Amino acid sequence: MLELINVNKAYAEGRKVLTHLTYALKAGDYVAIMGDSGVGKSTLLNLIAGLDTPDSGEIRINSVAISSLDDDAATQLRREQFGFIFQAFHVLPHLTLAQNIALPLLLNGAPTDRVEQMLADVGLRDRGHHFPRQLSGGELQRVAIARALIHRPKLVLADEPTGNLDPDTAREILQLMRTEIKTNGATGILVTHSHAAAATADFVLNLTKDGLHPAKLERSE
Amino acid sequence: MAENKNTGRHYFLRFISMILLILSLVAAETIAESSRLLPVVPGYKLTFPHDYGAHQDFRLEWWYITGWLETEDKKPLGFQVTFFRYATGHNHDNPSRFAAKYLIIAHLALSDPAVGKLMHTEKSAREGFDLAYARPGNTDVKLDDWTLVREEDGRYQVDMRTGDFGLRLSLSPTQMLMLQDQNGFSRKGPKPEQASYYYSEPHLSVTGTVFRQNKPVTVSGRAWLDHEWSTAYLDPEADGWDWVGANLDDGSSLMAFQIRKKNGGKVWAYAALRDVSGDVKFFNPEQVEFTPIRTWQSPHTEALYPVAMHIRTGEIEWQLTPLLDDQELDSRQSTGSVYWEGAVTLTRDNQPAGRGYLELTGYVKPLAL
Amino acid sequence: MSSASLSRWLLFGEWRAHFVQMIVALIAIAIGVAMAFSIHLINTAAFNEFSAASKSLSGQSDLQVYGRKAFFDESLYPLLANTEGVALANPVLELDVVVPGKLQNRNDHKLKIIGIDMFRAVHISPDLLGLTEEGKTLDRLADDAIFLSPAAMEWLQVKQGDSLSLNVGLQTITLRVAGGLVRARAGQRIAVMDIGVAQWHFQQLGLLSRVELKLKNGVNHAAFKVKLTDELGESYRVTEAIDQEKRIANMSRAYRVNLNMLALVALFTGTFLVFSTQVLSVIRRRQQFALLRVLGFTRQQLLQQIITEGAILGVIGSLLGLGLGYAIAATAIQLLGGDLGTNFFPGVKPSIYFDPMAAVIFFLVGLIVTMLGSIAPALEAARAKPALALRSGSEDVAMAKFSPPWFAVICLSVALLFTQLPPIFELPVFGYLAIALLLIGGIALMPRLAAWAFSGLLTLLQRYRLSTVLTLVLARLANAPNQAAIALGGILASFSLMVAMAIMVTSFRVSIDDWLGHVLPADLYVRAAASGDQGGFQLDTQKTIAELPGFDRVDFFRTQQVSLDVNRPEITLFARPVDRTDARNTLPLTDDRIASGALPENVMPIWVSEAMVDLYGYRVGEKVRLPVGATSSEFLIAGVWRDYGRQFGAVQMQLADYQRLTGDLTVNTVALWLQAGMTADAAIANLRQLPFGAALEISRSSDMRALSLEIFDRSFAVTYLLEMVAVVIGLLGVAASFSAQTLARAKEFGMLRHIGVMRRQIFSMLAAEGGLLTLLGIVLGFVLGWSISLILVFIVNPQSFHWTMQLHLPWGWLTMIAGIMLVSAALTALLAGRQAVSGNVIRAVREDW
Repeated sequence: MLELINVNKAYAEGRKVLTHLTYALKAGDYVAIMGDSGVGKSTLLNLIAGLDTPDSGEIRINSVAISSLDDDAATQLRREQFGFIFQAFHVLPHLTLAQNIALPLLLNGAPTDRVEQMLADVGLRDRGHHFPRQLSGGELQRVAIARALIHRPKLVLADEPTGNLDPDTAREILQLMRTEIKTNGATGILVTHSHAAAATADFVLNLTKDGLHPAKLERSE
Repeated sequence: MAENKNTGRHYFLRFISMILLILSLVAAETIAESSRLLPVVPGYKLTFPHDYGAHQDFRLEWWYITGWLETEDKKPLGFQVTFFRYATGHNHDNPSRFAAKYLIIAHLALSDPAVGKLMHTEKSAREGFDLAYARPGNTDVKLDDWTLVREEDGRYQVDMRTGDFGLRLSLSPTQMLMLQDQNGFSRKGPKPEQASYYYSEPHLSVTGTVFRQNKPVTVSGRAWLDHEWSTAYLDPEADGWDWVGANLDDGSSLMAFQIRKKNGGKVWAYAALRDVSGDVKFFNPEQVEFTPIRTWQSPHTEALYPVAMHIRTGEIEWQLTPLLDDQELDSRQSTGSVYWEGAVTLTRDNQPAGRGYLELTGYVKPLAL
Repeated sequence: MSSASLSRWLLFGEWRAHFVQMIVALIAIAIGVAMAFSIHLINTAAFNEFSAASKSLSGQSDLQVYGRKAFFDESLYPLLANTEGVALANPVLELDVVVPGKLQNRNDHKLKIIGIDMFRAVHISPDLLGLTEEGKTLDRLADDAIFLSPAAMEWLQVKQGDSLSLNVGLQTITLRVAGGLVRARAGQRIAVMDIGVAQWHFQQLGLLSRVELKLKNGVNHAAFKVKLTDELGESYRVTEAIDQEKRIANMSRAYRVNLNMLALVALFTGTFLVFSTQVLSVIRRRQQFALLRVLGFTRQQLLQQIITEGAILGVIGSLLGLGLGYAIAATAIQLLGGDLGTNFFPGVKPSIYFDPMAAVIFFLVGLIVTMLGSIAPALEAARAKPALALRSGSEDVAMAKFSPPWFAVICLSVALLFTQLPPIFELPVFGYLAIALLLIGGIALMPRLAAWAFSGLLTLLQRYRLSTVLTLVLARLANAPNQAAIALGGILASFSLMVAMAIMVTSFRVSIDDWLGHVLPADLYVRAAASGDQGGFQLDTQKTIAELPGFDRVDFFRTQQVSLDVNRPEITLFARPVDRTDARNTLPLTDDRIASGALPENVMPIWVSEAMVDLYGYRVGEKVRLPVGATSSEFLIAGVWRDYGRQFGAVQMQLADYQRLTGDLTVNTVALWLQAGMTADAAIANLRQLPFGAALEISRSSDMRALSLEIFDRSFAVTYLLEMVAVVIGLLGVAASFSAQTLARAKEFGMLRHIGVMRRQIFSMLAAEGGLLTLLGIVLGFVLGWSISLILVFIVNPQSFHWTMQLHLPWGWLTMIAGIMLVSAALTALLAGRQAVSGNVIRAVREDW
């Protein structure tokens, strides 16, 4: 589903972050990527999302080389097939929860009937008319998860989604995320520092200077 | 603002200097300009009281009174009162009551040894609205609140007051008129048209009041009046004149003048000495000689005046001594005229002979133009 | 590390990071201060010069005696000269004489000629003594001599020794330029002649304009003035220099106050911009400040930090503004003259005087406003609980505190109340205050209105399938109204002022156009080159003109200036045939009148202009005495008419009454109606053929109308200029707030880009936000502007100029301006927001750098 073929990327100032990165991910996989700070986890996510282009190599999503698409085509691809979950939630403060969740549907010109169901799925039944400022951090991330999955994306990218949350809430959110990704049949990539978080994935990859390597982790549950 | 004022005065000064220039140097060419004005001709018989009055057909006319006064505490004072009438030569056809056909100009000066310098002031105005005039028929001149009037009985009343000084005098004749030169036809130069009509009233007995710092002082004394009118009389070569009029202690009267030439020498001179019985002795130009004895340099104008003068009329030697040196009439700050007009005492052959006034004009070279 | 250097780091860091916004803030402050300061400079320069020029004419006299009419008999002069206590009486004859060849310049074709007696004037106004050629001092008295100021020489293109032709009545006289008036003020266009000569040549024999008096030392001026006024009776008025200054001030006061008010409007708009820029800048950094608080900054330190920042901006901006204002004023005076092209102060050429006191005041205004803009949000930031402030989405709540609705309601109510109050010192102070309050109230109400409008729109449109962009835009505008309102404030202020001025000017212009049609009913108007108060046409010339073929009707007018009040400028008295059956056929009467049929037989009716009602308290039906004829006579006020020509008052009466009272049969103006088939050109040719034809001043009413409107337009040119500045300031506001918001919303845009919003969609969002906001601003601005225009038309104008007008709306123009505003605001928003799609935005969503 996702193929990384010999991807190279250096920062503007010349420091290499990703070198000869090659990896393939099957549809329906839910993988956690770990790695030291500065090793290029965020860069990798940007490349996968088509928000940045590799210096060389290719990234394919369902055989489409996203790295060679122009901005509009990449945006279109993201809109239809991607879902994003951020550490800082990034829920628009001036939209209601329902509106926030409906955003991807609106962008794709799809009917918004699924929003209520999705709200219920993430545990926010009947709160669609609330504004984000009325919510706690955990609740905000639930909204973000709903938004990321509402349009049944093929690939969900989560960047340290529990970084701003307390451990108990984090556990709930990770569980919810996994459930929702699996329920919606999406492929998931979870970038995290937390072993506990990584443990909720199907398997864990370690990003190092030499590339992506499987890592063994004890399942925490 | 003060600056403006001064500049305004400066313009005005030029104007008055001009008048003064005309007064002292009425040039021959002006005759041609003003054909409406009459020339001075010999043989005219002065008639009175008509000729006491103003003569509007002549360019320039003045009544000049100078004299010595004494306060009640016997302090001497000199005074000078002058009224000029001047025909502008303009506005002849102008029906406006403001039409500036004639100007009236007046000077008032007081020499007080206690003050040490001349106090003087002057005024000018156009004739009109009964605010300023010189009437024909009898002496009757007015400039705002300054007046000089000759009454029926021959007595002159002068009233001239200004901010801080002034005088109100009554002058009574004690002798008959003194017609100068050829029955009042007074030659001023070698050419016959260089002349004026000129009579004097010496030995006027003066009583009245002098005001100093607005305080009235009763005074009495002797004065000399000149009345002279002409259209043009000075030679273009003339530089200025020296003039003296004196009431002598023995009742006789002396008048002498010389008109100086630009580069030394004299254009004309004249003198007349009338004794108490009325006999007049005339002196021709060659018989009259002015010799400076002592000069005084004015601190105001830098002009050098021969304030002490030796005068010879025929055989007689006169010596003139000023009451005070600084009797310069320097009004460049207001009207611009500068001359020396001072009370003097006379000695004849080194004996005190009388008192009079000496006038020295044309000594400030650049006439402040 | 000392806290001072920390403070410095923070300050420079902020400015480095937001350099453009800092510059915009500086420009805003500078423009606001510059506009107000430059207008103040221009006004004071023009006024000072005008009054100095007037003073230089009247000199340093203690008292001046004028007649009720422009001229009086000279017999008063010796009387005054001989009055006890008078040291000097200086007679003056002052005339405005038509210069042939300058006639096309209707407002500016006269030369002021002052006739003086140099022997008197030297003591009072020595500057008026002409400088003659060397040695020709007596030229000052010569009967063909005229002395010209340098400006007059330049205007007339003559020099010393040239001859100068002037029109007097129906004749032309030729004078000799005998010299200059070197002490005349720069630009002062005057001529001086001997008073006797002037009386003679300008046919003013026996007449004077005034006598100036110098009193003797020790005379009590006030007591003397009272006594003299008493002795002279009602035909004369005695004034002091102070009265004179008051008259001049009165003459131009309404004009000056209006300009100053416009300057204040510019300052106000600028102030608002400064305020909003500062508020935005502080609000944007709420989280940063909260962090500083968390780190241990005390409230005190935080406040100090923000205020220091505001003060530095305020000082630099205000200084820039002073410099800019001075430069603008100097340029404007150079290019347009001190009255900015309105001809309000004719014949002066002022130069700017840098008044340090005024500079300090304007500097302080700029500084204080900037500081206020910083202090209000700084207080909020300092008071905010750091924990709450750290959360995003709280900015709008914080901003809501700056515009509580009760404040807006109070402002608007007080404004309404103020519209009902009378003028103070004849100035519409409350009217202007009402305008300011309307603006403040309107702006304060903006957030609520924006929220209502946009959520209403959102609800309304939700049943249709809305594009994502529009949904996002409307949701944001509806739910974050305070940030929107800040951007809108500038637009609202400038557009409403523009609408108000446009409506006012149009109403005025249309009213004037109607009025001109009414007051210029004839086809041709013929004037004799007037000098002084003489009617130029004697009986025989009147008859000659009346007998010319080709005219349906010939009317004769006699006009003159009459003084009713020492402290006020003269009023104009018109004597003309007024239709006896209905005065409305002759005069542009208001409804306030007595029907012509209802007039009693034995009274003399007059019709007064609106200014007479306001200034002199004249009421229809009252009887008043006016100084017409040898003594004053009683008249009945029969009606009120509109007069846009003379704000100091005018009275119309029957010509027959005038001639009976005064015995003056001359007239100044002849109105001619052409017969059918007669062309104006032919009629003018006929008139020119008359023996005195060359000296006639003939105008077609159509030309006069065109010219009047042209002058009107010129005098409002400066208004348009100020409006443009207000618009630029408004757009600057949009730019400032959008660029600030774009930064603040970086994460929002980053997220949107992540989830599949296209670059161009972000652009459309920004443009739509800007456009919608501007649209709302325009709609509200229109309502607000319309309300303000009502105040201008129905309160400010009648109270300051004493004339009323009808309301007219310039729809076409307003639509055009609205369109331009809309497009430029959207573009501005777009330009200011172009960072919203940069790479930084995408990175902004990451928190773990």
